[in-house]
Amino acid sequence: MDFLLDIKTAMLPEAIITFTILVCTVLCFMLKQEKQKIIYLISLLGLIISLTSINLLAANKIFTGFYNSFTSDFFSILMRFLILSGTLLVIIMTKDYSSKFKNRQGEFYLLMLIAALGALLLSGANDLIMIFVALEALSLSSYALSGFLKKDKSSNEAALKYLIFGGASSAIMLYGFSFLYGITGHTNLTEIFTYLANNNTDTMLNFTFFLIIAGFLFKVAAFPFQSWAPDVYEGAPVPVTAFLSTVSKVAGFAILIKFIGLAFNNVEIITVTLGLIALLSITIGNFMALNQMNIKRLMAYSSISQAGFVLIGFALLSYSGISGAIFYLISYLVASLGAWLAIIIFNTQTNKSLISDLNGIAYRNPYFATCFAFCLLSLAGIPVTVGFMAKFYLFHAIVQEGPAYLWLLILALLNTILSLFYYLKIIKAMFVCKQENESFKLNFDAGILNTSLVALTLVVVLLGVLVTPFIEIARDSALSIKLPVKQVGLSR
Amino acid sequence: MEFLSLNILIFAPLIVAGIILSPLFPNDEIIVRRFAKGFSGILFIYSILFMIFFKPYNTGYQFKETIKLFSNTNWIEPLGISLSFGLDGISVMLVVLTTFLVMLALIASKKSITTKHKLYYSLILVLTTAILGIVTSRDLFLFFLFWELELIPMYFLISIWGTGKKEYSAMKFVLYTFFGSLFMLGGILLLNYFHFLNTGIYTFSIEALTYSRHYDIPFIVKALIFLGFFIAFAVKLPIVPLHTWLPNAHVDAPTPVSMLLAGILLKMGGYGLIRFNTQMFPEMIKIFAPMLIVLGVINIIYAAFIALAQKDLKLLIAYSSISHMGFVLLGLGALNTIGITGAMFQMLAHALISAGLFLIVGVIYLRTKTRIFSHLGGLGQVMPKAFYFTMLLALASLGLPLLVGFAAEVMIFYGAFTSNSLDGFILSNQFMTALAAISIIITAAYLLWMLQKIFMGNMFEKWQKAYDLTPQEAIALTFLSIPIVLFGLYPEGVTSLFLPFVDNLVSNLAL
Repeated sequence: MDFLLDIKTAMLPEAIITFTILVCTVLCFMLKQEKQKIIYLISLLGLIISLTSINLLAANKIFTGFYNSFTSDFFSILMRFLILSGTLLVIIMTKDYSSKFKNRQGEFYLLMLIAALGALLLSGANDLIMIFVALEALSLSSYALSGFLKKDKSSNEAALKYLIFGGASSAIMLYGFSFLYGITGHTNLTEIFTYLANNNTDTMLNFTFFLIIAGFLFKVAAFPFQSWAPDVYEGAPVPVTAFLSTVSKVAGFAILIKFIGLAFNNVEIITVTLGLIALLSITIGNFMALNQMNIKRLMAYSSISQAGFVLIGFALLSYSGISGAIFYLISYLVASLGAWLAIIIFNTQTNKSLISDLNGIAYRNPYFATCFAFCLLSLAGIPVTVGFMAKFYLFHAIVQEGPAYLWLLILALLNTILSLFYYLKIIKAMFVCKQENESFKLNFDAGILNTSLVALTLVVVLLGVLVTPFIEIARDSALSIKLPVKQVGLSR
Repeated sequence: MEFLSLNILIFAPLIVAGIILSPLFPNDEIIVRRFAKGFSGILFIYSILFMIFFKPYNTGYQFKETIKLFSNTNWIEPLGISLSFGLDGISVMLVVLTTFLVMLALIASKKSITTKHKLYYSLILVLTTAILGIVTSRDLFLFFLFWELELIPMYFLISIWGTGKKEYSAMKFVLYTFFGSLFMLGGILLLNYFHFLNTGIYTFSIEALTYSRHYDIPFIVKALIFLGFFIAFAVKLPIVPLHTWLPNAHVDAPTPVSMLLAGILLKMGGYGLIRFNTQMFPEMIKIFAPMLIVLGVINIIYAAFIALAQKDLKLLIAYSSISHMGFVLLGLGALNTIGITGAMFQMLAHALISAGLFLIVGVIYLRTKTRIFSHLGGLGQVMPKAFYFTMLLALASLGLPLLVGFAAEVMIFYGAFTSNSLDGFILSNQFMTALAAISIIITAAYLLWMLQKIFMGNMFEKWQKAYDLTPQEAIALTFLSIPIVLFGLYPEGVTSLFLPFVDNLVSNLAL
């Protein structure tokens, strides 16, 4: 009975997704190829039910399940909400795109759901073994997904690159886990933290910390593990790219937050290193994005730099920093999903992906261009969008930590100028440049893709105006993790 | 005065922009333009009412308004940010100036804007909201938000309807302003943090931050905050090493946008310098006064000389703009009532004159498709009305008595000459004032040469068919000329609006 109770109190969405996966697996074998579109609908249905079931979880209490290997607190509920809605949108994106998968449509949704399950488990995982299993469920299905266009050379290259990099970083992370187990004798995170709080530990812990976060930095494509991202993003099927740059990143950050607690013995070293990692991600992402011609590559570099901004929040090692990071993550997820939706609408209908292909599209498809422009402006941090608020809240959090972090603030501010430049480049192509050769008009009717793009744009603007509830959500979820970090800025 | 609501004034243009942009609105050029013009006229009259009911001798903000969200909380309660607006002595003039120039820019848009009318008029209105928001915010965060919001419409206005290297110029404008504003953001956050350290309250309210006087902020931090604000406004004003975006933006922007850029957007820099650098940091401005004066004199002289060498009419006007904005710095650096009043008045004078001159440039360019002096000449024969208006504007600009330019310069020179803000600095106020006064000759030289090269002398055969001012252009120029003459004769008509504010400011400085 414990098992069922755990599911009911802590893991209801995961259970529903698991059930959907089982149904899809059976259907994959049973259905003929023409009818596999049903699996698309079933996976959508499963995700929606799973999303609604989040309401049934008690947000103000902490539940643990499966012998403390999984925690359901407000933070993990928020993350699961983000992951599920992200996956839902990614699956919506495949509506027209899936014709490229020929006769293997069903498997695509199956793999996507497994990846989502891995991400969900990761967001609440509280045990080293659970973390590893969940991370691998996410990674392995992502490898397969990025190579899903079987006959496409760049898709195969993407899968291989992702697999090799991913395997290496998982190995490094496992090495770190083994050290952690060696130091503390526990695999459960709660017990590890208790042990560390009561015992003096040597510098080995720092080493361990960096080994472990290597795996997660790889997942979020931050420096120095960012080099896989552009090629994989470019080669993988576009919905998969959208998944990797949003849902997969959210899961990576969700688990990274838990390990921030390891840092509290040697705050100085870790905060500086994390800050440098964040700044280098932002700077490298921005500089590489400046000259990109391909939208997908540009978005890949932009996502590297955005990941850096989230990491700034972690580098502060404080609750206000983490709540800033969580708010930034929400804003990034919304704006980036919107941008990917726009790219996929464009890419599916025209089969093009250069920035110059967008030239003059604003006057043939004004709504499409406006929505895309709003999402890009949000990524750049221009008002009145959620990106502006998120950047402001994050910078506000940096200043709260006092003058010691002024360098971080100044360099991050300077980087936002760079990022504005390349986001404006896309907007310029859409609104200013003239169409040179044949003109095409996108079909922008009331289909589900276009509706979701408009809806996401509305969310981008609304979140930019009605900020207070979301700042409170970010703050509450940061407080619910109960990290052993200094408590600054939230005392009020 | 229940009907006078700043919220309506600020957000009505935004709503009308939405209406124009919506697919239901007819896509007919004439309807769109007339609708926008009519609305801007109403907005102008509405803003005049604010000026009439404004009581200059009340200290602090008037027409205060705060928008509360659901359950009656401030906008972003956790950070102490509220959606609050208000008018005081310096903002009331700028509000009226903004609506006035927007109206004139829309009147002048008929000939120079030929495509994408819906987008154009709605972007101008969004820009109006942003500018009105900047001058009326009572919250630093809100101020910053509007400051950033103004970038995007300007980017599109220059890059879509401009000429020449328009995309480059628009990008340069946006990146420069964004660069400056980030320093301001750093300053705002630091100020907020140190206010929190001292009082335990998170707030971005301009009033609270102004009157707390910052006794407890370490000197170095205060200097950093001051410089952060200063860089943002220096880019906007512009001050000489940071001015290079302005010639590009002006030359490539369409005529109405140039009018707005010179007329209002540059004034935001001056507004910021008075509102924040002077009012919020009285003790810092005293330390940095030599910097202001030296930069101001460099601005005045350097830009005047550059203007002298220009072969392009619009570039000449652009550099004369930079030169004239140097006077604002000079007047501000004097730190006495007459100097700061002069700076404020110069902002008004320059807005009217430069908007008119840019309109003239547009008029000539429409007829001849060139702005190069060597291709022009003798146009006075075929365009007598344009010639008279240009003469009036040029004379006002070079400071002919009884026109606005003269009143402003007299106040600034008098203020700068009698000031003692440079005590302890190697150069004296009197010396710097005398240095700045050299520019009067240079200004007269380049403006009169300009008149001569365009309107006098022999005319090229090909300009024989150039027609004189159209009714719209004549109306816009007449509207601009009236205050130029009126306030030249009777400067007190404007200065009485902000004189009490400036008095208050200066007495604060003396503390």
